[in-house]
Amino acid sequence: MRLQGKVAVVTGGAQGIGRVIALGLGHEGAKVVVADLQADKARDVVNELLALGSEAIPVEVNVANESAVKRLANTTFDRFGRVDILVNDAGVYLKSPVVGMSEELWDRTIDVNLGGNFLCSRAFVPSMRKQKSGRIISIASGIAHYGAKEFAPYAASKAAIIGFVKALAREVGTDGITVNAICPGVANTAMPRTHRTEEELMARLRSNPLGHVLEPEDFVGPILFLASDAASYITGQAINVNCGSYMI
Amino acid sequence: MSQVALITGGGGGIGGAVARRLAAAGITVIVADYDHGAAEKIRGKIVSSGGKADALSVDVTQAREVKALVTDVEKRFGRIDVLANIAGGSFYTKRIEEFTWSEWKEVIDVNLKGTFLMCREVAPVMQKQKSGRILNTASNYGVTGSALRTPYSAAKAGIIAFTKTLAQELAPDGILVNTVAPGPTDTPRVMGKESPEARKQRWSEIPLGRTGQPEDLAEAFYFLTTPESNWITGQTFHVNGGLVTP
Repeated sequence: MRLQGKVAVVTGGAQGIGRVIALGLGHEGAKVVVADLQADKARDVVNELLALGSEAIPVEVNVANESAVKRLANTTFDRFGRVDILVNDAGVYLKSPVVGMSEELWDRTIDVNLGGNFLCSRAFVPSMRKQKSGRIISIASGIAHYGAKEFAPYAASKAAIIGFVKALAREVGTDGITVNAICPGVANTAMPRTHRTEEELMARLRSNPLGHVLEPEDFVGPILFLASDAASYITGQAINVNCGSYMI
Repeated sequence: MSQVALITGGGGGIGGAVARRLAAAGITVIVADYDHGAAEKIRGKIVSSGGKADALSVDVTQAREVKALVTDVEKRFGRIDVLANIAGGSFYTKRIEEFTWSEWKEVIDVNLKGTFLMCREVAPVMQKQKSGRILNTASNYGVTGSALRTPYSAAKAGIIAFTKTLAQELAPDGILVNTVAPGPTDTPRVMGKESPEARKQRWSEIPLGRTGQPEDLAEAFYFLTTPESNWITGQTFHVNGGLVTP
């Protein structure tokens, strides 16, 4: 087990990619804080973790709310006394053409996806600094590089996460903290189903050089690698896990 | 049956560390190097710590030698699961008007042509197996450029684009092709040339505040041979302490 005794916080940990990341971290020995807006689902993931023999707690949080993020940090320190790994996965995926888009849809996407990265990182960096070690892993998206029709704020927020990750990596590197992003390719989750038929989705999922349909579980290995000692000299990078669907 | 890895430049600083890391994971390693003595040394270290390894000589710029090497390895080991193209070097630091044509060709050939020749011979073996991992070695200079190293920077940038192309070509056969781009790494080749002052100055420019160790690179190479990286292809892994974040 590569993460024995480490404490990990996973925002958006109640479903989709966040859920399997939480389970993957638990499987490697980490104690896991499953933080999500959806408290019931977070509790279900915690139960799965407990069944694995891991220590875990659910925390209800809106990552775009300063005081809620403070509570998340306090709960984490009260229960586990430290944090070693922060996975910023919480995000929303809202569709609208730019012309006619409400300011509210724009703000919500940027506040949750990008602002959540800022607030959570700000809340956990001081403690990582004190212990001179830490791992921050943000879930960006291939859409940061590729764009996606009628998802301009999502694309902007994910590209901005990559910029944020690079800047923060430079800011906290000498404190032994690495900051990296994963850019998942389009995967077989609930998110892309909001605006595609099943048939369209499956055709899109298969159209990559490896011809493989990406599942949430496929992103866990690269995240565990970044969270482990093996990646201690990698920081400020955005790692594409996309079956070669684009290469930059 | 044990997996088989063929590593060029396996006698060098990074190549040797990669060879040892893969061997520690139970992979049979063929350490190939221009310098047979260096390859033998790494082979000896692997074998004495319980791993399986062989040492062979190759000049990766010579098509005939490359072909003979791959034929020999396939005949004796029956398969090649991992090809790590690590042979390379910058050799010269000088202004472009001082570079002779033969010096230019030397740098391009060892880095870029050698990678091509090795891939051309090994890919058919992996295609038969319907599996394989090819790991090429670039450099952060392949993205940023580096004054006084025109051929090296060009060759490394070329390797990144070559990797993306080959990844697309070999994906239908289940073969993954990725590049590892080391940043400043403490290898004898680099350290021999650097004063302690220059070294300190360099550290101050690296966000993680230290130069990389060959072992740091070895972990990235190893990760790219494991099932955890099954869905990563055509990508460039920068292992540079945050110095370059493209």
